[in-house]
Amino acid sequence: MHFAMPPRKTSRPPPYAARQSRGFGIPPALRNILRDRSRGLVVLILGFFTLFWLLGGMSGGERSAVKNTIVGSGAPVVIVTTIDPTADLRWVERIKKNREDYAKKHGYATFFPSTADYPLKKSPPSWAKVPALRHAMTLNPTSQFFWYLDSTALIANPSISLQSHILDKSRLEKLMIVNEPVVPPDSVIKTFGNLKGDRIDVIVSQDKEGLCVNSLFVKQGEWAKYFLDAWFDPIYRSYNFQKAEAHALEHIVQWHGTILAKLALVPQDLFNSYVTGPASPKNGQYKDGDLIASFPGCDKEKRDCAEEMEPTLAKLEGKDKD
Amino acid sequence: MSRSPSPRPGGWSSPGLNTPYDTGGRTSPYPNGGSQNVTWASAQARSAEVKGYSGFQPRNQGFFSKHFRRISTSLPFSAEKEKTDRGRYQSNRVVQILNRVWRTILRRQRSFGLLLVIILSIVIFYVTPLHRAYRRSSFLGGGNKFVVILAANQGGGVMEWKGPREWAIERDSVKNKKKYTRKWGYELEIVDMSTKKRYAHEWRESWEKVDTIRNAMRKYPHAEWFWWLDTNTFIMEPTYSLQSHIFNHLKDITYRDINHYNPLNISHPPADEYLDPETRSAVGDGKSNSINLIIPQDCGGFNLGSFFVRRSVWTDRLLDIWWDPVGYEQKHMEWEHKEQDALEYMYTNQPWIRSHVAFINQRKVNSFPPGACGDGKDANIHYQEKDRDFLVNMAGCEWGRDCWAEMYNYRQLSNRLNRNPWEKFKDGISDTIKRRKESKKKDEKNKDKKGKQ
Repeated sequence: MHFAMPPRKTSRPPPYAARQSRGFGIPPALRNILRDRSRGLVVLILGFFTLFWLLGGMSGGERSAVKNTIVGSGAPVVIVTTIDPTADLRWVERIKKNREDYAKKHGYATFFPSTADYPLKKSPPSWAKVPALRHAMTLNPTSQFFWYLDSTALIANPSISLQSHILDKSRLEKLMIVNEPVVPPDSVIKTFGNLKGDRIDVIVSQDKEGLCVNSLFVKQGEWAKYFLDAWFDPIYRSYNFQKAEAHALEHIVQWHGTILAKLALVPQDLFNSYVTGPASPKNGQYKDGDLIASFPGCDKEKRDCAEEMEPTLAKLEGKDKD
Repeated sequence: MSRSPSPRPGGWSSPGLNTPYDTGGRTSPYPNGGSQNVTWASAQARSAEVKGYSGFQPRNQGFFSKHFRRISTSLPFSAEKEKTDRGRYQSNRVVQILNRVWRTILRRQRSFGLLLVIILSIVIFYVTPLHRAYRRSSFLGGGNKFVVILAANQGGGVMEWKGPREWAIERDSVKNKKKYTRKWGYELEIVDMSTKKRYAHEWRESWEKVDTIRNAMRKYPHAEWFWWLDTNTFIMEPTYSLQSHIFNHLKDITYRDINHYNPLNISHPPADEYLDPETRSAVGDGKSNSINLIIPQDCGGFNLGSFFVRRSVWTDRLLDIWWDPVGYEQKHMEWEHKEQDALEYMYTNQPWIRSHVAFINQRKVNSFPPGACGDGKDANIHYQEKDRDFLVNMAGCEWGRDCWAEMYNYRQLSNRLNRNPWEKFKDGISDTIKRRKESKKKDEKNKDKKGKQ
């Protein structure tokens, strides 16, 4: 027996196909796999292991032995000045106050370690600035920039903010002096030309004789550890560099590309104008309104910093009272 | 009857190739009276011509589509059936069994297919050179992440002439590494370390390790780990991959705290208060991904005969600072092991280095033969056959020891230890035969002796 025509469909089809099971639906493909009980078991076990593996991969990070900190959440700049423990205490107080006032105004932090705090052995005390910077980074792990400012310098214009003055990426890119001999006048090693402002880790200036170490910025990070530790190497400290750490710095900058590549050279009067001393002929001399008034070498031999700074300091302190 | 020469399902036969069709001297495929040449196909074609259905061809008419099933089911045995009765009777049982096996295989086509796939993939992945490709690939084997840098020609060049022994040592060493790197899909970079006075600063002579590693990093931009090997080294266990031997469990196999084994008596961790907690920690940050340099230590301190360095910014800095003119000027008389001494010095004096250096047990990557660091009794340093150490470094063999003899012996030992089962079986048989012969000889001798007595 056969039919000439297929049976008719109902003339009132249901609007949607009826659901076969209640509760959450299993997609038909999966249901097909799960039809067989043993197969379903295998799928279940495999799925479990896959889940386990995925989760294990996600949380697979090892735990760090030291606490992690976020750089940039603390004070944006830490001002570091090393203090000679034999210096005149009144003068030291005034120097400290000069920096503290400035820091308070802009929300920076300060750090005044003694040069005797660090294991310098027989090397000159001016080397203390290197471990002092590293120490400041240890104490302020959340700050980004560390400004070493020698005790022979004064902040002469406290209204200037460091970020807009130097540290901002675009500002720094504009300021960088490129293709300039690292050691004037004619070193064959010249500053790199195509550096990005946010990849710079050390900012220095140049006076008439070479790189200045009495005012410099170092950015916190792994590179800073490398830079400071390499700079502080006992071989350089015991080597008879004429100007100690300043010549050691010039040496590592010229011989090691990984240091030169992170260095920005900026005009001297931005943060290291000289009142006395071998200022850069182009832009090193102090003029009114400069951020820094520096008296390099005033702590040496027969000179007296307190005396030399007195007029500038008095003027500054008078201004503050107004 | 039209004799149009249109091609039939049987097709034209080319003249001269198929003689039966050419009997009448015609080119037509259908000779009139040649009934002895009528095949099924030609007859069918003929009737099709009559019916005028020449274009139509029913399914399953072709030979293969008709017979494929039958052929495939009975292929190996159809010949057997044609045999004479006698033959059939004798092989009947065997045939039956074989037939049954074949049938069951066919019945379980699915599992049979699976087996076939497995066998085929074993062939494809292990027998053909394809396994090198997948061991190399970054997502399967990861072999291209490793570069072996082999220093060849050490000390050769203008300073010394190489003799045949030195050539032989070098050839063996290179062959050994080539085989190993090919097996696991690593890169091999053989570098010429001959002393050439090619530096502008003459005093930089023979400090090429740094430059060589840098060049290798530039040449293999996708590689991560670089394994430095001296010439006088031999990989004893080529079946160990670097991944399974070291890098899959880097954290457990290495030690960050040098106090674990400290022949140089370096005080660790650095105690200076101005340093950050990570630098002052004995194990750095303790994570395996912060390890950038893996060095073994022998009885005298660091050993750079076999060490690993990882591509990283930290490594860039280390390679940059490793050689410094001031350090060189002051210390080059004192540092007779050059880079090695310089690295020890930097590790001691520059704290930033410590948090990224890990040490590895000497015998994991750099076992010494007796003669280096004592006479072979130190279980931390000397090669142990029963533990199947990975690599032997015949360090210092050029100073009063026989490099070639050592290399030869270790090569033989390595070959013997890594025989495959078949070779072992063969050797076992030949050994027993030898032993029997020897014992027979002994017996004969004994008899002779007895006879004489």
